[in-house]
Amino acid sequence: MRTGWSEIARQALSLPVLVAAFLLVVTPFGLYLADLPFIANMMFLSLMYAIAAMAWNLLMGYTGQLSIGHAVFFGVGAYTTMILVVYYDVTPWIGMFVAGAVAALVGLGLGVPFFRLRSHWFTLATIAAGEIFKLVFNNWEYVGSSAGLQMKIVPEGKALYYLQYAASYVYIYVALLVLAIELVVLYRIVTSREGFYLQAIREDELAAKTLGINTFKYKMMAMGISAFFTGMAGALYAVRYHFVEPAAVFDVITVSTYIAVAGIIGGIYHFAGPIIGSFIFLPAAEYVRVTIVARFPRLFGLHVFVLGVVLLVVSLFAPDGILGWMEKRGYIRRRRVIEV
Amino acid sequence: MVSEIDVISAIINGILVGSIYSLVAMGLALIWGVMDVINFAHGDYMMLGGFIAYALYLAGLDPLVAVPVAFGAIFLTGVATQRLVINPVLEAPLVSQIAATFALLLMIRYGAEAAFGPYTRLVKVSYAETIHLGGITIFVPQLIGFVFSIFVALLLYLFLTRTYVGIALQATSQNREAAQLLGINVKRMYDLAFGIGVGIAAIAGVLLTTFYPLFPEEGGFFTLLAFIIVVLGGFGSVFGSYIGGLIIGVVETVSALFITPSLKDVVAFIIFIVMIMVRPTGLFGKKE
Repeated sequence: MRTGWSEIARQALSLPVLVAAFLLVVTPFGLYLADLPFIANMMFLSLMYAIAAMAWNLLMGYTGQLSIGHAVFFGVGAYTTMILVVYYDVTPWIGMFVAGAVAALVGLGLGVPFFRLRSHWFTLATIAAGEIFKLVFNNWEYVGSSAGLQMKIVPEGKALYYLQYAASYVYIYVALLVLAIELVVLYRIVTSREGFYLQAIREDELAAKTLGINTFKYKMMAMGISAFFTGMAGALYAVRYHFVEPAAVFDVITVSTYIAVAGIIGGIYHFAGPIIGSFIFLPAAEYVRVTIVARFPRLFGLHVFVLGVVLLVVSLFAPDGILGWMEKRGYIRRRRVIEV
Repeated sequence: MVSEIDVISAIINGILVGSIYSLVAMGLALIWGVMDVINFAHGDYMMLGGFIAYALYLAGLDPLVAVPVAFGAIFLTGVATQRLVINPVLEAPLVSQIAATFALLLMIRYGAEAAFGPYTRLVKVSYAETIHLGGITIFVPQLIGFVFSIFVALLLYLFLTRTYVGIALQATSQNREAAQLLGINVKRMYDLAFGIGVGIAAIAGVLLTTFYPLFPEEGGFFTLLAFIIVVLGGFGSVFGSYIGGLIIGVVETVSALFITPSLKDVVAFIIFIVMIMVRPTGLFGKKE
């Protein structure tokens, strides 16, 4: 049985969720009033990576398929939004959803061959796919080759239509909206029968198949949804930074790896793990980048090095991420899964 | 129009550059085969070898002097890595293993970038000349690299097939439990496999530095190439990887004649995906 809307509403109205939501809604405006663009940017990035990492974790934590190629969907989403605005004058409000849909189609297209592969072979194929997309976009003149695409100059009074604002806190609200939609969709899936099928596939694909689960079909479902929201994260990137280039949006480190690292640091076996992970590692890396690296450009790369240290510590001492570690130590209770 | 001599020239140069790819891939195949661990930081150990060569070059020595130095230093680094990082996650789920080697990747690559600076360095060796044979052009440092590569591969072959320790390594790769039952210290074999694997990659890094620009992020591309080659040559097959490296080198240089050079890597990646789909045991690998 699928979780009813009333059940979702009841869960959503619990105190910690309400407090977190209140803080998320109030903070951006506070940052604007206090004129803290650096922190506002940090918050936007954390939300953007949270959206992508939550989507990534539907494949990893729930379905057991480790992708280090989510830059494909992120980049396709970013480019789709940009192409629609620049060439066809379509508002990003629609473009974002088209971006998600195109990314989902790409995901399904890749899923057909890739889901024949198991464990690390799947991972390696996703990495290769990311590289192929980067190289193809680098050489594709229609999308500006390696120079990328630049947002056009917005006519007076059309800021809302083109979603182009000078104040960065506006984008935080857009990202919050996307994250809210994503959380509702993902929560409904993972607490439904399909969600349990996904976890059965993660635990033992052969056994799941023996029990009559069409494993390919459900893996494809997870891939499509995962790609959709990662594409929307890419769309947010495009409208926020007014510029896309293959080296940035298809990057194996700053996109594919960061997304996976956010999920792993937060905890892949907890629903909210990737959000926690994003809100910890991104501010940390950004802090190091802006305070140390910007002051001493000689040390460029230090922020990624710090990220590596954090990832190493997590994978050695808290393999189930921060939430998994807290649960093991008894600081948090495991959220009871709703009965099917 | 592409002439016959261009193709022959491309094939020869492909073999020369491929012999360096082969060394990187052999190390990866050794680690993968013996330990069943995928080392995503492999190319970054190669880069460290390159920087050792560069340091000796700055000290006024020939970069090739670094071959034994880099092998020794990176071998020890590899053994330390295996004991401190890889060993604790050997029995862990795949995602933890991959996370651990990715953490190594980020630390080595960007640690080097922060320590040495991200810019590109060029080494000018005294024998940096080209030989012209008919229409074929050969760059001398590449030829020397090729000779070294063959030599290192031959040494590894003799070690793996003619020494007790080498045969024990192969036995561990074939069947971990049986090897343990026969009294082989499997943990020591892991130390050796990881140390030798990244040590050989470091030698490739040294050889590469004599004819290719050196920069901290160079490892990423070579790690991906090494995966392609290991899969092509047969998963875990060290000598299949050597041939696989030559093939990928030739595929790259020859396809660059017919398509935009920057798209030549797409061909390699597509070969890779088709290989793991169709025959994950590779051209020379044993059936699983």
